[in-house]
Amino acid sequence: MIETIMLSPGVTLRCCRDSRFKQGSFSVQLVAPMAEATAAMNALLPAVLLRGTARCPDLRAVTRALDDLYGATLSPLVRRVGDYQTTGLYCGFMDDRFALPGDQVFRRVTDFTREVLLSSPLLDGGFLPEYVEGEKVNLISTIESERNDKRAYAMSRLLETMCRGDSFGIPRLGKREQVEAITARGLRAHYETILRESPLELFYVGSAPAEEAAEHFQRMLAGISGERRPLPPQTGLTPGEGGDTVETMDVAQGNLCMGFTTPITNRDPQFPAMQLLNTLYGGGMTSKLFQNVREKQSLCYSVSSGYYAAKGVMTVYAGIDPDTERAAREEILGQLEACRAGDITPEELTAAREALASSLRAVHDSPGAIESYYATGALSGPGLTPEAYLDKLNRVTLSDVTAAANTLKLHTTFFLRGECQ
Amino acid sequence: MNVFHYPELDETLYRQALECGLTVCVAPRKGFTRKLCYLVTDYGSVHDRFTLEGQVCSIPAGSAHYLEHKLFDMPGGRDISAEFAGLGAMVNAFTSYDMTAYYFTCTEHFEDCLRLLLDFVYTPYFTEESVQKERGIIDQEIGMNLDSPDTVVFEELTRCLYRTHPIREPILGTRESIRQITPDTLYRIHRAFYTPGNMMLCVLGDVEPETVAELARQRLGTEYRPGAQKLGPVEADLTVPRQRVRGKIEVAMPTFCMAFKGSPFGRGEQAIRRELAAELAAEALFGESSELYLRLYDAGLIDSSFGGGFETLDGCAMLLCSGDSRDPEAVARAVLEQAGKLLEQGICQEDFLRLKRGSLGRRIRGLDSFDSTCFRLCAYHFSDFDYFRFPEVFREITPEETLALLRETCTEENWAISILEPIHQEEQP
Repeated sequence: MIETIMLSPGVTLRCCRDSRFKQGSFSVQLVAPMAEATAAMNALLPAVLLRGTARCPDLRAVTRALDDLYGATLSPLVRRVGDYQTTGLYCGFMDDRFALPGDQVFRRVTDFTREVLLSSPLLDGGFLPEYVEGEKVNLISTIESERNDKRAYAMSRLLETMCRGDSFGIPRLGKREQVEAITARGLRAHYETILRESPLELFYVGSAPAEEAAEHFQRMLAGISGERRPLPPQTGLTPGEGGDTVETMDVAQGNLCMGFTTPITNRDPQFPAMQLLNTLYGGGMTSKLFQNVREKQSLCYSVSSGYYAAKGVMTVYAGIDPDTERAAREEILGQLEACRAGDITPEELTAAREALASSLRAVHDSPGAIESYYATGALSGPGLTPEAYLDKLNRVTLSDVTAAANTLKLHTTFFLRGECQ
Repeated sequence: MNVFHYPELDETLYRQALECGLTVCVAPRKGFTRKLCYLVTDYGSVHDRFTLEGQVCSIPAGSAHYLEHKLFDMPGGRDISAEFAGLGAMVNAFTSYDMTAYYFTCTEHFEDCLRLLLDFVYTPYFTEESVQKERGIIDQEIGMNLDSPDTVVFEELTRCLYRTHPIREPILGTRESIRQITPDTLYRIHRAFYTPGNMMLCVLGDVEPETVAELARQRLGTEYRPGAQKLGPVEADLTVPRQRVRGKIEVAMPTFCMAFKGSPFGRGEQAIRRELAAELAAEALFGESSELYLRLYDAGLIDSSFGGGFETLDGCAMLLCSGDSRDPEAVARAVLEQAGKLLEQGICQEDFLRLKRGSLGRRIRGLDSFDSTCFRLCAYHFSDFDYFRFPEVFREITPEETLALLRETCTEENWAISILEPIHQEEQP
């Protein structure tokens, strides 16, 4: 299903040929270890590239060029995948069969992407200072507007405390001070370095055969060469000090986040059991958390757990009335105890397994899901096809799930609540 | 079932209105494993007054949404989510200003899932105890919305734009209004609007269209049951009662929502054509390829959070834009100025064609999304329009009618702005 082609050493193209879709899409990502020194630059880079090219020197010209390409979109793609950070672009475009006769949209979008990647207007060996300064302001405001979304804010504060000292504790977009320190020349120098030295991952989904895609991407990247350094292997979490933090803000709702550690990552054989446990415990409307904390006790509207499989971190979130914090905590931990003790019905286990199976079976039904499943799987694990992974999932037993639950340790909690409550 | 082909979109649609009044619509997705099924009623939070069995009913704000939560309850303590989960399916629902949808997504056991969906949506079962119990949950949902700047800024704007239209009330209602909701309220709504004649069943996936229709027929019988008569919602006055509202909330930077209040379009092809033309007008005025967007972006007055479009729903139409800005008032002034300039200068044919091409291409790509396609098929159906006909309508739209819409909508008298500022200002430069 997925054809992997090494375009050159360190430049990997993965193709998923599929003519059911009305669009084609691809991602182009430079992959580097997540580091304090470069996180903000990697986050800033795609936005600066998209500000303009020599031929299309401003945003309006760029958007017009994309409108001409039947409303193609080219957007920044900055990801955290375990210990790595990726920086690059994601492109979605209309399939050739809907275009005017003879028009080759795929060819033209790869040509335009080349322009964005390689024809930035420069000044004194740096990017244009007005592009860089403008995008710095935008990135800072993106970083700071995290607090607009109380749930996301509380969760990121939890992870920051829990993972201090580990790459996972570094904010995905960097910190304000780091963004402020970026210069137009420094950013350009950084880009030239990673363009030469970082592994480059391309992922394509669409109707074109792999050979044709390879030809377009070869042309897109022609002239870029260098000695690409292999990435260090992914590691499990080195937890920070942790603890219980309460922060106040002027909010109507309390946001309770709890972080647990587990040695199980998506590179371990116990990964399917851990993922099943997470789904059964807090993954949806039939999960223990939803059924008990919400439906039985009416303590919240939102409650769920999440598993950061690349690192071995599980989190629980509940949006609650601050006065019921103690009750909510007890119920959340009580339900985990139940999982540890094997107090799990066959229906609960089946429901969780079926939910995961359904989403795995549906991976191939959406270009975005295909890209994100395989492109992140290749970088952090497990690197299996959905079918192969489903097979492993089907062999997980109740005792495997219970064993996975018993590896979890509560490490950090973060509670965001109102000021005068 | 009736079959319709749309070669331009590479789509086929099976559609039929059953004897009971339910419209069934299937867009086949050959070779896909996922199936998505919506059962939707043409009824949302703004339909708070209606005539049922000869009586005028006024219901508390938030009732449509409350019903959506409680419809999942079944007699005998059956757990609908668990039954879907047992089939490997996920069930969920949402309430908007003018629609309520119940849907499931599955990869296997489609027919069993469909039976289950029809079963629970057409089995109202509400008790004093269960209605009371839901309050704690919905209180928390309301709390979540009160902490969400995007929701608050828009809700405040609706109260600037409208004097009486129920869009003024939050979809969820308020902590006070939901305390007036009783099982009787919910039963009345169900009798009024959860009738097949007011609803649509829409499926995307590799399924047999006739089976979908047959299962619905089996559950609903042949007796024709139309929806109740909605009263309004209308508001004839196009001027705004208030031009600005300011508030404070926990945000990093001021956030705003600005809108021009337009005259409602009604239903049918002409209405949709106007709506699509209005979307192009919004694109021309403040879309990413507009002169205004570039100027404001370069001046640091907007960032990528800025966006806009044209929104319509029963009795409402608005051309709106929103985003974060250090100076929302300056953005508003620039929008007004640019609207004037655009009307004076017009849109050149080349720019207009490019806008259309971009917009059309994005819509075609959007058909890959099961969720957005299913949603649009339903929403447009309730406006008496077949969504898959958008390319032909699009083609006919002229720059002149786009400008005429802009002229009609963008006046000095009918705009308003809602601004939320940070509670803590010290971090602002």
